[in-house]
Amino acid sequence: MTRGLVVMLGAVTSVALGALAASLGGMQETPFPHEAHQGLFPLCTGCHEGVPLGDVADYYPEPASCNGCHDGVREATVAWQGPAEQVGNVSFEHRAHADELATAGDPAQDCSACHIPTGGERLAVADEVQLGTCWSCHAHEATDHQVDAECTTCHVSLAETRFDLARIEGLPTPADHESATFLSSDHGRLVQESAGRCATCHTQERCVTCHVDAERDEIATFPAAPPGMELPASGAHYDVPASHVERDWLATHGVGATRDTCATCHTSDDCVSCHVPPIPNAVRALPARADVVAPGVHVAARAPESHERMFFPQAHPTLAAAGDASCATCHEESYCVGCHDAPMQGGYHAADFLSRHTASAFGRDAECSTCHNTQAFCRECHVEVGLVPAGGGRLGPGYHDDGPLWLIRHGQGARQNLESCASCHRQVDCVQCHGVLGAFKVSPHSAGFDAERAWARSPRTCLACHVGNPLNGN
Amino acid sequence: MCGMPFATRTEAAGRRGRVTMAGRALRRCGSRARAAGLTVAVALLLPGSALAQSYRGWTSTSVQVVELRPLGLDSVPRTDVVMDAAGRFLYEGNEVSCVLASVCTGYLPLDQDRTLAATQDLSLTFWGFGVEGLSVTALVRARARAGADVVWPRSDDEFDALFAYAQLQRGPWRVRAGRLDIRSGLGFAAFDGASAAYSLRSLHGEVYGGRSLARGLREPQNEALRGLDGFLLDMSVLLVGASATARPWSTQLTARYQREILSDRSSLVSERASVDFSRSFPRFRLTGSIDYDFMFEQPGKGHITVSAPLADARWLAEVSARRYVPYFDLSTIWGFFEPVSYSEVTARVGWAPQTELGAWVSGGWRTYGDTETTVILRPMRDTGWRADAGARWRAAAEWSVDGRYQLEWGPGGFLSSADAAVRFDPTERVTVSLNAMTFQQIEEYRLGQGRAFGGGVTGGYELGDRATIALGASLIRHRDGGNVFTSPWNQGRAWSSIRFDLGRDPGLAARGVGR
Repeated sequence: MTRGLVVMLGAVTSVALGALAASLGGMQETPFPHEAHQGLFPLCTGCHEGVPLGDVADYYPEPASCNGCHDGVREATVAWQGPAEQVGNVSFEHRAHADELATAGDPAQDCSACHIPTGGERLAVADEVQLGTCWSCHAHEATDHQVDAECTTCHVSLAETRFDLARIEGLPTPADHESATFLSSDHGRLVQESAGRCATCHTQERCVTCHVDAERDEIATFPAAPPGMELPASGAHYDVPASHVERDWLATHGVGATRDTCATCHTSDDCVSCHVPPIPNAVRALPARADVVAPGVHVAARAPESHERMFFPQAHPTLAAAGDASCATCHEESYCVGCHDAPMQGGYHAADFLSRHTASAFGRDAECSTCHNTQAFCRECHVEVGLVPAGGGRLGPGYHDDGPLWLIRHGQGARQNLESCASCHRQVDCVQCHGVLGAFKVSPHSAGFDAERAWARSPRTCLACHVGNPLNGN
Repeated sequence: MCGMPFATRTEAAGRRGRVTMAGRALRRCGSRARAAGLTVAVALLLPGSALAQSYRGWTSTSVQVVELRPLGLDSVPRTDVVMDAAGRFLYEGNEVSCVLASVCTGYLPLDQDRTLAATQDLSLTFWGFGVEGLSVTALVRARARAGADVVWPRSDDEFDALFAYAQLQRGPWRVRAGRLDIRSGLGFAAFDGASAAYSLRSLHGEVYGGRSLARGLREPQNEALRGLDGFLLDMSVLLVGASATARPWSTQLTARYQREILSDRSSLVSERASVDFSRSFPRFRLTGSIDYDFMFEQPGKGHITVSAPLADARWLAEVSARRYVPYFDLSTIWGFFEPVSYSEVTARVGWAPQTELGAWVSGGWRTYGDTETTVILRPMRDTGWRADAGARWRAAAEWSVDGRYQLEWGPGGFLSSADAAVRFDPTERVTVSLNAMTFQQIEEYRLGQGRAFGGGVTGGYELGDRATIALGASLIRHRDGGNVFTSPWNQGRAWSSIRFDLGRDPGLAARGVGR
């Protein structure tokens, strides 16, 4: 177990050292030969007096100070000009670190802890920082420097660096970025857990390459690239979530639709390719395509699975009545009118339906009275074409010529298809015989007719045929 | 004219010396109420157009010319009438009644008549008034007519506001006020009033109420039948209703209650409830509906349907059990005449092995309830059945054909009808279709003879992304033992329409076309 830990820690340390060395590689022009000066400088701060003070200007001695010895007489002149300008992303600051140690009650660390390899002589300063010292505290739980170490402990965000394009492109790709689910789900979780880690290598511009919603908190607060920073070209990539291919996705997608859940990929323009005004709040909350950088996923309207089945026209009344709100998602009310109250043929009914509507109406396959007012719509036309005189339905022989004595036989047909009767005949036509003042006083009620209930609930209707309370024999 | 109960015109037709009386020139009233509705709509729209940030809608103009051959109660000399083998008196193939010795009467075809009906629809929705969730929606319709005496239904009704309302949607709440139109398991109900709806996840509830409008007419019930009938309501009708929708366990379920009473509360006009549901199972879908009439304490219309895709959805089988009973509210006497229900079983099978090819066949059988009426001479039929079969084939990207045969055979009516059509789409924007049809039918307890044949052509053209134009014409000829030119179904039709989409439609590009 212990051996394994040692090996693992060694590996981690090696990788970390390599990475840090790489990031520091550009700092020093020519390494200063500290060991050759061992006898001259008893204290590191003799030359690096600014380090403990946090005074960056005095981190290194002036090159001219070398001339005190290297004057070409006593010692040969040197061309040491101090370290080159640092272009890195390490955030370590000696003074702050010393303060943190003191605050934490940890012992102070001298320069050798980080700059001289273990067991080395004084001033045997290594070219690289001894990162093992860093890891001894900061990375004792990390298994991969680029995956689970806390980047911000040592690094600044990419936006704070002055990395050029080559430097940015050379940044290593952490192992966890190779996961198949990294783009679809993992990276969102990681950025919420530690946005600083992401910002070490990325700027806000990378987020909005794909994300439609630039105002999302995680993105809006993400460091943006400074002016002039050249970023690698990157294309948008959108995975189709598993939920989106479920059979009933189209029907259920509105349940959890919010800006947070949808605006990663979609703009409000996508929604209104189906949704009709008045636009739902969830849709209006999404950004418009014109206002975003990312291309987003373009959605085209398509009918739900149920609409593509055969016999949908027969099924849709019940589907609409059972879940009215879902129809209104895509259809305006005027859409229904386009068929159900079409101004001319070719709407709900097939072309030339009028010529042959009689039998269909008699069978009530389409339940005419759902849309039409039988007494007005049907009768109005029947009067116009002369099927019935405007003054009243004709009760003598003529129209109903399917057999003799229609008038005294009509009861069965009337009870079966009373809507058809009312499409020509007025109420007064019937009352002529069925009313108490009519010629024959033929009761139109069945044996089980509840007269008491009828009189109690709708006496005015009773009075169309009766002259008073029918329960009193009127 | 509105003050007169009826407007009857006696037509002294000189055709062949007969006396004819056609019942034309009947006009409903209530246009003032409709104009008021339109005024409300316009009043809502004008400030809307001025203040709204966005609007969307469409306008559609349609014109149709209809040729009809009206029937008229005619008298003909007895000497011109012959008797057929069945003992019927016939005049030019049409049966007449010969009670008197010298004159026979019957409903006979009159001269050809032609009328033109024009409709202008305007549908608009405005939103973005600076008040979150506020919108205004209206669909108004104007009509005009020209031509002969025949009036196409409702073409003399000059203005209608089909619906016009303001809506405020805030979170789960939605409130509407104005002219509303509710389509539900109880049919279509229009009213001038308000509704409030609340949605929480898969739950949706709504209450509504107002002055009830006659179905299909958008006029107050006490005005809608003026001029059409003698017994009229003398006051308006109030409507209240409520509905609840839930989606438990993949089931869509809506229950609704609706009640109408006279405005003085003296009488009930209707009181009904309905339940509609749909549920998808792994192998089939179940849909059903039932309504209940509290006035008569009995169930009304209802059905339950099982629909199952088979063989990777190449087949679809459907079985439906249905009950139908004519429904009349109590604004008329018809409901107290107690129409009987019929029960029907229907089976449908569809076959669509690929998107280019499909066919279906269906059959249904129904039986009527006991009418409790006295049988005189012979009983009438109390069963009926219907059959329907069709197929479609998209032979190529541009060509498709489809055909259908329909048979309906029940008490009082018969129809045998066939249609065929060929559609040609030479480009994405152009559609041309040729169709042919033939049918034979018997109207309500009226004998019919001969067969009608017809055909027509329709065309459509998309003018850019926001306009569509459609044209069509058809011709029907009735063959009846050589009396072709006196047959009632001889008629021609022609129509055209143009539609423009208006306003902001950011989804237009995504849809590819301006639909």
